[in-house]
Amino acid sequence: MATFHLKVLTADRVFYDGQVERVIVRTTQGDVGILPKHIKYLAALGIGGLTIYADGASRVAAVSGGFVDVSEENTVILARTCEWADEIDINRAREAEARAKAKLQQQLSAREHDIASVKLKKAINRIRIAEK
Amino acid sequence: MASGDMKDIKRRIKSVQSTMQITKAMELVASSKLRRAKERVVQARPYFQTIYETMARIALDTRPGDSIYTKIRPVKKSLFIIIAGDRGLAGGYNSNVLKLAAAEMEGKNTSIITVGKKAQEYYAKRPVDVLADYPGIAETMRIQDTHDIVQGLLGQYQRGEIDEAYICYTEFVSPLTQEARCKKLLPLSFAEENSGKGKAQVLTEYDPSPEAVFSAIVPEYLNGILFGAVVESYASEQSARRTAMESASDNASEMIENLNLSYNRARQAAITQEITEIVAGSGQVGA
Repeated sequence: MATFHLKVLTADRVFYDGQVERVIVRTTQGDVGILPKHIKYLAALGIGGLTIYADGASRVAAVSGGFVDVSEENTVILARTCEWADEIDINRAREAEARAKAKLQQQLSAREHDIASVKLKKAINRIRIAEK
Repeated sequence: MASGDMKDIKRRIKSVQSTMQITKAMELVASSKLRRAKERVVQARPYFQTIYETMARIALDTRPGDSIYTKIRPVKKSLFIIIAGDRGLAGGYNSNVLKLAAAEMEGKNTSIITVGKKAQEYYAKRPVDVLADYPGIAETMRIQDTHDIVQGLLGQYQRGEIDEAYICYTEFVSPLTQEARCKKLLPLSFAEENSGKGKAQVLTEYDPSPEAVFSAIVPEYLNGILFGAVVESYASEQSARRTAMESASDNASEMIENLNLSYNRARQAAITQEITEIVAGSGQVGA
């Protein structure tokens, strides 16, 4: 099966570096699937899942923020945060979810409201990915 | 008075020895911290390289002036982010970056964001407009921490409160060399080195539009640059401290050597004098 080179980078590590068959990633516009010989493509990432298909198997990770950059030679995903499903500390994610929900009940400035709702989204995303 | 001399010298040897113990300990702490900091720099570098290259490419693809981030406007107010250490005793590390920042700010109407306790203390005593201080974040810095700083910076830039932004930090070139640097953050400017050959290639598809992608990536880019600068500065601080403490320990051991020598001389002089006195005394008795 045709493959292409994928690199997933975060600020603190090289998350993934290798040949893959298919990648599905959540952009700000929704899930996008990338196959070999994709046109040059650039999009910002939202909060969601990243699925990597390599060697006939697939692995799921949770990403938030960053962008995906497809060029002829390789595909690069630069993520603000990125963790494999099995690395997610589900208890911490649940706590973060509860905290963010509690925060949203209070009177907040627009900015604080934005921050809390983004935190809630991230927590929900991590829980969803971890339980998959 | 020889015995008084000897006592004096002995006291000095003791005090130098205890100083050396401290500098030695600090050197060891700094080198173990440096090892960890260096690892972080190495791990972070591919990310920053890629983000910088991608940013430069998009900036070339989009027309200048399409985005407020690339439009150059008359400068009324500049913002400086200055990254220094949390502690002193690191050789010229803190003063170098602060001096460079002062030189860059010369003649500009500036406001300042400081990172690190030393920068905070330095500007607290001076008549400058300090917008925010972030002391003590460098050691445990995570990329999420730079988010606040970047959000504030972008908000101000969008509202036109500042017209350009710089960052002053120390680049970790090698464990022996660190260099204070000043970089322009906003408006974005990239050298158009290979714009000639790049244009004819296949056009990139931007989802949903170049401008939207650009605006979404700019915060990421600034985040990355800021995080990288803090990580580099922290590694530089540790290695500057290690070097400074190493030379302090060397100096101390040299001083101890010299003091030991003069102590022995004084001891010998005292003995010689005593013998001379005894001999002279016995000669008188014998006569």
